[in-house]
Amino acid sequence: MDARLDRRVLTRRPKLPGVPGWPLALALLAAAIVVAANSGALKLGWADWQALLAGEPTQGALVLAQLRLPRVAFAVVVGAALGLAGALSQGVFRNPLAEPTLLGIPGGAICAVAVVLTLLSAWAGGLPAAWRPFVVPAAALAGAWLMCGLLQGLARLLVPGAVAGLLLAGLALNALAFALVGLCTYLATDEQLRNLTFWQLGSLVLASWPIVAVLAVAVAGVLALSRRWGQALNALALGEAVAAQVGVPVVRLRRLLVLALALLSGLAVAWCGLIGFIGLLAPHAARGIVGADARRVLPVAAWFGALLMLLADTAARTLVVPAELPVGILTALFGAPVLFLLLKRAQREIGGGW
Amino acid sequence: MSLLLLDDALLLRHGQRFGPFGLRIGAGERVALLGPSGAGKSTLLKLMSGELAPTQGRVLLGGQPLAALTPPQRARRRAVLPQSHQVAFGLPVELVVGLGLWASEAGEGGERQVRQALAWARADHLHGRRHDQLSGGEQARVQLARVLAQLADVQGGLLLVDEPLASLDPGLQLELLDTLSTFCRERGHALVAVLHDIPQALNGFDRLVLVRGGQLQADLPAGAAALPALETLFGLRLQLLPAADGGWALSARRASATPVPPALETTNG
Repeated sequence: MDARLDRRVLTRRPKLPGVPGWPLALALLAAAIVVAANSGALKLGWADWQALLAGEPTQGALVLAQLRLPRVAFAVVVGAALGLAGALSQGVFRNPLAEPTLLGIPGGAICAVAVVLTLLSAWAGGLPAAWRPFVVPAAALAGAWLMCGLLQGLARLLVPGAVAGLLLAGLALNALAFALVGLCTYLATDEQLRNLTFWQLGSLVLASWPIVAVLAVAVAGVLALSRRWGQALNALALGEAVAAQVGVPVVRLRRLLVLALALLSGLAVAWCGLIGFIGLLAPHAARGIVGADARRVLPVAAWFGALLMLLADTAARTLVVPAELPVGILTALFGAPVLFLLLKRAQREIGGGW
Repeated sequence: MSLLLLDDALLLRHGQRFGPFGLRIGAGERVALLGPSGAGKSTLLKLMSGELAPTQGRVLLGGQPLAALTPPQRARRRAVLPQSHQVAFGLPVELVVGLGLWASEAGEGGERQVRQALAWARADHLHGRRHDQLSGGEQARVQLARVLAQLADVQGGLLLVDEPLASLDPGLQLELLDTLSTFCRERGHALVAVLHDIPQALNGFDRLVLVRGGQLQADLPAGAAALPALETLFGLRLQLLPAADGGWALSARRASATPVPPALETTNG
């Protein structure tokens, strides 16, 4: 009996031979980066890379160094941040559909930025010039953090682990946030309104090395954090009570995770606006590739998010050359149908009771 | 010194009053918590585990207030098997069991301990499966293995279980109850179990703690002498009947009901 069961187990989950996963993944990402950097209004090739490496100021090398590479690097770090944020929020909320955009976390960030750009614009304008570039990211971070905190509170009040309750709470908070954005728009002067609109349109056009560096540090920091706390995040999947019983300092862990989530979501929104579904697709794909262990899901979700974002951004800037599509439109176009599939599957697995 | 001491621990929760409970549990004791549904058994267990802090009074584990211990320190002394198990995502069985080792030195590499714990819980064949694809009874065994792994290398700990066997078949229930008893005896762990089955409590435990309406009703040794207290607790008429093999069987019927024909009596044991 046991032998038969064992065989069934083995045939159902064949042990993969030792595939060199990380070298393969990084090679794939590097190839995608080269392809993405080469495509655009001006087609680039190997010769331009050679010129860049040799330091020759040809037109191709300049385009590569000053336009393409920052842009591509930006797509990679933003995608990694969004994928990682998605995986974290699913873990924190113990919920496979808890994508930051669906929960309204970026909504909180947008709301905070809208308040700063309109109602508080006089105050923000009076700040020392050196601080001004940080006003919008700081506001976005604070807004995202506040929204995460509210959601946490609500999720604990509602049925623990219930999918529908959490998503509806996110919907309500999102509506509240955008009502406040609407109010800000209504009260704004013409100039404030122009600032706000330009910011909200957001895309990866803002790409610059300092921004890439800040986001890369944030992503690396959260990845390092998740190496240390990955197993604790797994314990959280058994519920907060059980996690505490096996020794996880749940309150500290939750504070840390919410802060990390707000950091990634807030910074991504601050510099490139609302980009949905990457945070939903990346962790699901990661789970499909490496299983549900959070210690492996988090880095793979970051990798897959980077790859997806690179694909979406390259498509956004090459499909309608010389114009450029907002990248959020593309991710939603492909992401929304996937959400339907996931909903259907969640319903089948969890049952109708949510 | 007692392992666990509830010193007039009183809890006010959702407008309800639990306690004050005064209880002293020694190392190696096997205590069954009994009481009607909604009597506060699980709440009492949560007070013991530190999941709920008493509003008044103290709960001491090994002489130290539970609230003063860090979560890892608590996890090294006591393990808890909850009533229901919800595991989000498709975590593999061995990972779930390995979480029991979170606070121990074995840490994340305890593959051998995980296999051993799964074998104790009669769940070794589930290694490699996804927890969310198991049946309720299989999940209960995996969770039992997780708890066994947590206290496997400790002496004189405390094991708190809340109706751990409710979803298993009768044969496996008795087998795993034996496993739990042996596991605790070998390591000097105290075992505190919320139970609904009176014969199981009389057979496998030294002491019965009876709870009703959020109050401690009685605290007495397990045995035939406890039957009157159990009758009051559940409002039942209980009778020990000698069985043909020299053992005994317990007959239970409603105290107020008119006598039923013998064929319809429920007989356990």
